[in-house]
Amino acid sequence: MTIVEQIDPDRLRAAVSTALADGARFSSAWATAERGWRIALNSDGHQTRVLSCKVPPHGVVDSIIELAGAAVWDEREAHDLYALPFAGHEPLRALVRHPAELSAWTTPVRGDGVHQVAVGPIHAGVIESGHFRFHCVGDQILALDTRLFHKHRGLERAAEGHAPQDALAHVARACAACSVANSVAYALAAEDALGLTSGGELARQRTVLLELERTYNHLHDIGAICAGVGFAAGAMGFAALKDRAQELCRAAFGHRFLFGAVAVGDGPCALEGLSLEALRAGLRELRTDATAAWRDLEFAASLQARLDGIGLLDRTAALRLGVVGPAARAAGVAIDARVGHPHLTTAGIEPAALSHPDGDVAARLKIRAAELIVTWDLLDELLSRPLERCRTVASRAPSAIGIGRTESPRGESVCAVELAGGRVARVHLRTGSYANWPAVAAAAAGNQLPDFPLINKSFELCYACADR
Amino acid sequence: MFTLLRQLDTLRRGAALQRDGRRWMAIRHVDAGSCNGCEHELGLLTTPLHDIQRHGLDIVASPRHADILLVTGPVTHHMATPLRTAYQAMPTPRLVAALGDCALGCNVLGDRTQFVGRLEDVLPVDIRIPGCPPDPATIAATLLTALAELRVQPRS
Repeated sequence: MTIVEQIDPDRLRAAVSTALADGARFSSAWATAERGWRIALNSDGHQTRVLSCKVPPHGVVDSIIELAGAAVWDEREAHDLYALPFAGHEPLRALVRHPAELSAWTTPVRGDGVHQVAVGPIHAGVIESGHFRFHCVGDQILALDTRLFHKHRGLERAAEGHAPQDALAHVARACAACSVANSVAYALAAEDALGLTSGGELARQRTVLLELERTYNHLHDIGAICAGVGFAAGAMGFAALKDRAQELCRAAFGHRFLFGAVAVGDGPCALEGLSLEALRAGLRELRTDATAAWRDLEFAASLQARLDGIGLLDRTAALRLGVVGPAARAAGVAIDARVGHPHLTTAGIEPAALSHPDGDVAARLKIRAAELIVTWDLLDELLSRPLERCRTVASRAPSAIGIGRTESPRGESVCAVELAGGRVARVHLRTGSYANWPAVAAAAAGNQLPDFPLINKSFELCYACADR
Repeated sequence: MFTLLRQLDTLRRGAALQRDGRRWMAIRHVDAGSCNGCEHELGLLTTPLHDIQRHGLDIVASPRHADILLVTGPVTHHMATPLRTAYQAMPTPRLVAALGDCALGCNVLGDRTQFVGRLEDVLPVDIRIPGCPPDPATIAATLLTALAELRVQPRS
């Protein structure tokens, strides 16, 4: 259950500082239409505390970015969408809004031979839309400013006013590739607010869906890194493996991206006709082929020679920026929302770790292969007995704010739901991609411009997930 | 490497669509605000199982080299201008294809005020590929059928 504390805006910064000193981690932050500002802090694994304040009409709220570097985007977003002013966040650059003048959103870079390279929003391949502005000397990247939110669809606003189950559709479509992770995070948040608790069977079914999503995404991401160095056999081979994983999702749950499989208070609806044995056998075959294909990649010298030391994001930088997911674990930051999760069957999971978490492209590639092994094992165990109909049960009084957390293929996805009169008053989704985009810019600095596609692919973040 | 290449060979042999050597057309994709589902599926079109190059279609990097503008997503305000710029950069004759339900204006989720309207309100749409998202085989089949029906007479 989420603990909500009302606090005076003047005392917010000190309260965050104390909590962080006590070992809490910045989890999410969001503004509301009534000039509300909430900061969610996470401690002891899954205990979330929300500090909530109301900013007076002409008042300001103290920035916390010097305490928690992860909050930079959250404050910029709250300023753009809810006009909240932050004292001490200088310069408070535009994030969601796209002002015309460059100085409103780019880092000032001066010096001999510095020039800018503008890329996007339309990219050369079949890629989502977003704009990158590189500050370079020759081919070397000095700094990168990302301008995303070209795909801002106002999904959070659109979800407001709906019953909790109906609002789910807006959250689910924030991103297709992380749709299960975001949907389960939302369902858990709504259930937290409604006072519902899921039992072991629902936890197992949701874990199956989450790990299936991780399977096809990690296969995809390995292929994407191969594409990033122009290694076609690996790119094509792993794309084909991903395609097979998605076909298994369709055969089992009726959709290649598992759309519609998550519900608030309920398990997957399409259990009838589901052949678990076929799914389990299909996954075992896929595992055999993916393992052999991975072995090929390990011995492909033209691929391996391009990965070491590229796009370095070390442990210190990862911690400073609040990086999550495979990118964090590849830099030796052992965080994974699955560990100790009270509502999923992953409580005892041991996340994969690398012997040399170097934080480069090579490490981000290896961690995905290592994580796939954990996921294959987990799925095989979870699918060893039939799925049964299950629902949540009312276990306590409803609360005003609920929080749900999952580990998406790209990192922790945190969903906050505020209910009023049984309807969604505010929903906020902070995805692994949102948390990690600033890290892409940090990892790119100092590298050669032609290596940027590879560095970008090694994070393989969604634009849709961040833009919402 | 042999495992990978063998797998690709098997897939290529197993692909169902027949070769059609009568045309060659280039596609330029623009994401005008999608959820990334259509992109994932479209990306698989050029992999060995679907291999649309065999059917005289390819995905190219620049609209200046493209015959077909393939658009995904509802059109957001931030993407309306880049979308129009890409269309204007194309040589004529040219075609516009709407990929997925959002581009077709069906069941669009999100805040209406964030969109300029349906793709149809921004550009003339010639080919419609419904689905949420349509799978790679459906995208390939619908494109090829539509092109056969249009008798490849792109708009000038």
